Amino acid sequence: MLKILIPSILLLPSTWLTPQKYLWTTTLSYSLLIASASLMWLATPSETGWSFLSCLMASDPISTPLLVLTCWLLPLMVLASQNHLMLEPINRQRTFISLLISLQIFLILAFSATELIMFYIMFEATLIPTLIIITRWGNQMERLNAGTYFLFYTLAGSLPLLIALLLLQNSTGTLSFFTIPYLPSTCSTPWAHKMWWTACLLAFLIKMPLYGAHLWLPKAHVEAPIAGSMILAAVLLKLGGYGMMRILIILDPLTKELSYPFIILALWGVIMTGSICLRQTDLKALIAYSSVSHMGLVAAGILIQTPWAFTGALILMIAHGLTSSALFCLANTNYERTHSRTMILARGLQTLLPLTAVWWFIATLANLALPPLPNLMGELMIITSLFNWSMWTLILTGLGTLITAGYSLYMFLMTQHGQLPHHLISLNPPHSREHLLLTLHLLPLLLLILKPELIWGWSA
Amino acid sequence: MAPLIYSALIISLGLGTTMTFASTHWYLAWMGIEINTLAIIPLMAQNHIPRAIEATTKYFFVQATASATLLFAGISNAFLTGQWDITYTPYTLTSTLITLALAMKIGLAPLHSWMPEVMQGLNLLTGLILSTWQKLAPLYLIYQIQPNNPNIFIALGLMSIIVGGWGGFNQVQLRKILAYSSIAHLGWMILILSFSPPLALLTIIIYILMTFSLFSSFMLTRTTHINSLSTTWAKIPILTISTPLILLSLGGLPPLAGFMPKWMILQELTKQSLCPLATMAALSSLFSLYFYLRLSYAMTLTMPPNNPAGTLPWRLNPQHNTLPLALTTTSTICLLPMTPAIMSLMPF
Repeated sequence: MLKILIPSILLLPSTWLTPQKYLWTTTLSYSLLIASASLMWLATPSETGWSFLSCLMASDPISTPLLVLTCWLLPLMVLASQNHLMLEPINRQRTFISLLISLQIFLILAFSATELIMFYIMFEATLIPTLIIITRWGNQMERLNAGTYFLFYTLAGSLPLLIALLLLQNSTGTLSFFTIPYLPSTCSTPWAHKMWWTACLLAFLIKMPLYGAHLWLPKAHVEAPIAGSMILAAVLLKLGGYGMMRILIILDPLTKELSYPFIILALWGVIMTGSICLRQTDLKALIAYSSVSHMGLVAAGILIQTPWAFTGALILMIAHGLTSSALFCLANTNYERTHSRTMILARGLQTLLPLTAVWWFIATLANLALPPLPNLMGELMIITSLFNWSMWTLILTGLGTLITAGYSLYMFLMTQHGQLPHHLISLNPPHSREHLLLTLHLLPLLLLILKPELIWGWSA
Repeated sequence: MAPLIYSALIISLGLGTTMTFASTHWYLAWMGIEINTLAIIPLMAQNHIPRAIEATTKYFFVQATASATLLFAGISNAFLTGQWDITYTPYTLTSTLITLALAMKIGLAPLHSWMPEVMQGLNLLTGLILSTWQKLAPLYLIYQIQPNNPNIFIALGLMSIIVGGWGGFNQVQLRKILAYSSIAHLGWMILILSFSPPLALLTIIIYILMTFSLFSSFMLTRTTHINSLSTTWAKIPILTISTPLILLSLGGLPPLAGFMPKWMILQELTKQSLCPLATMAALSSLFSLYFYLRLSYAMTLTMPPNNPAGTLPWRLNPQHNTLPLALTTTSTICLLPMTPAIMSLMPF
């Protein structure tokens, strides 16, 4: 575990000591090196248990895909941010890269934590670099509001989580993941037990986000710079899902009754946010609401706690991470050329940027869960397990799939097909950097078709 | 101020607190507190501007009232119990009176109204002394009296956390914001004082470190208003990185050191089965975080090439004695991993 963590920490001095000419090359190549080395985690010797153990950090089939995704995303973020940071003074470029690296360090520690308090502290620690990235390097005035919403929604949920974890530690003596499945359930008064259950889950549901508490997400995603949007969509939302998976083990048997409203809210959110996507004019907001929609499906899947549902949730998390990040990169190519997120100002791009249209096509197909991509595998497993849980959910999930296909197609047709607007004659051609970025996003997604065992978690 | 008089006043400040720490007799404890008050009065008024004189007068009246109440409570205790020992206060009347008098001394809600207005009239160094050194002696006395029920402490503490957060919402003057921050942090200290005094000690030590860093940062750039914070990038650029981190540490965000006292206090409160209180205290601290966040927005997160929020000031040549600031800032940001070591040093 330290083989990846210590090089990530040492990326910080190398960012500050590299001469200006080689800053981006160095950070890109070293973070790619760390990302390829992190693939070793996928070769887990034990199918259901913990591997790469130390006393404070370990990885298991649930955390491994998320860890690899985190490490994979850092070079992609460095690639994506290069253009819009080129005009800034060198020290601010270094500060930005240091924020990305510190985010990676906290995320590695969070996903590999073996103790709940360590996970909690790292979960909260990811807030500060993300806040600074959104509010310092965002481009519009609304970014301050976005940062405030982001920070306070998450903290309002996670402070009760802290108290719930401390309560658990008082009654059981330890919060280590190794021993938590074997602990007797903490029984107190029914009302206190229900409050404790809610406190444990609320932070992760807000982070996922669940439909009722999702208001921070469109603001934060839209106002963040490209690296901020990428890391938010790809990994930080999955922290919520991962936390829920870990903590649901100790929340039985109360989950069987108490999870009803949250499952229904999540599924209703799939439809509602999908419908909002159909009427969006802002490209990044469309992708943000699409994230809420997919994460609603993941939340519902995690809350019903069957093996297929967990597997589907994990696959969908990884696939959605790659897809959503790719879509944000594509939206960024539009933004860098027209400096606007409005979709009608940049229509018919297939004529101007034909190769980018290929990437738009693949990313859109991934978003609407086309077979044989892993997005479909995840969605299908979740829908099947939800049907097993209650057959009426099929109405909601089926409608959700339909609306997802609808808005994905709407996004593709609006940006690519049709006539060019009258004010666009030509745009700057796509850089090889942008093609590389999208290749690195979509190629793993396509390769995962061949071996989904890597990302499907505990099912042996 | 003339150096001889200045050093005499500083030494008297030290003498007053030390006398209170060393005392077991009510008269001596009260005398130490009075020496503290009298020594800081000339320090507050050294500017000779009307605002400073107003702050000094307000401070004097409040502290004199509190000291008179404290002396009265001490004498009543001696009358009722027959001895002057400050640790022996079995009667609720005297212990409540002592607690309220000392609460007024340090500015706990609902006896906090003087704090922002006094702090506003002082220069930053005297404000620092007021919010750190002047709290030590009364807190020590509150610890010593060992009341029989903790309800008054819980009430004072929770009200202070809420008032300290809510009161600072509308402020743009930095000294008033620091006053409300002091009220909120003292609320956390009082909350835990009856359950685990070593944790209160930890809280005040970490609070002194954080406040010292913040005050020193403001002293370096001579800023007293939110608008003047926005020009920090032009004067001392490194402060635009360190001060938001200090502010977020004051707000209690992990992984910064300000999280440590909150974490330990919440742990102790859950051990005492006071979970609703813990939840209310934790969520009330989010109020303070809002205006700390606003300060960091003004200072760092709206830097050029975005439009600056204030007009550019004269850039005079300030003296840079930055070693204490460097030490305390580093500890404010990096001390959280030392929590197990610090906890093992605390006598439980």
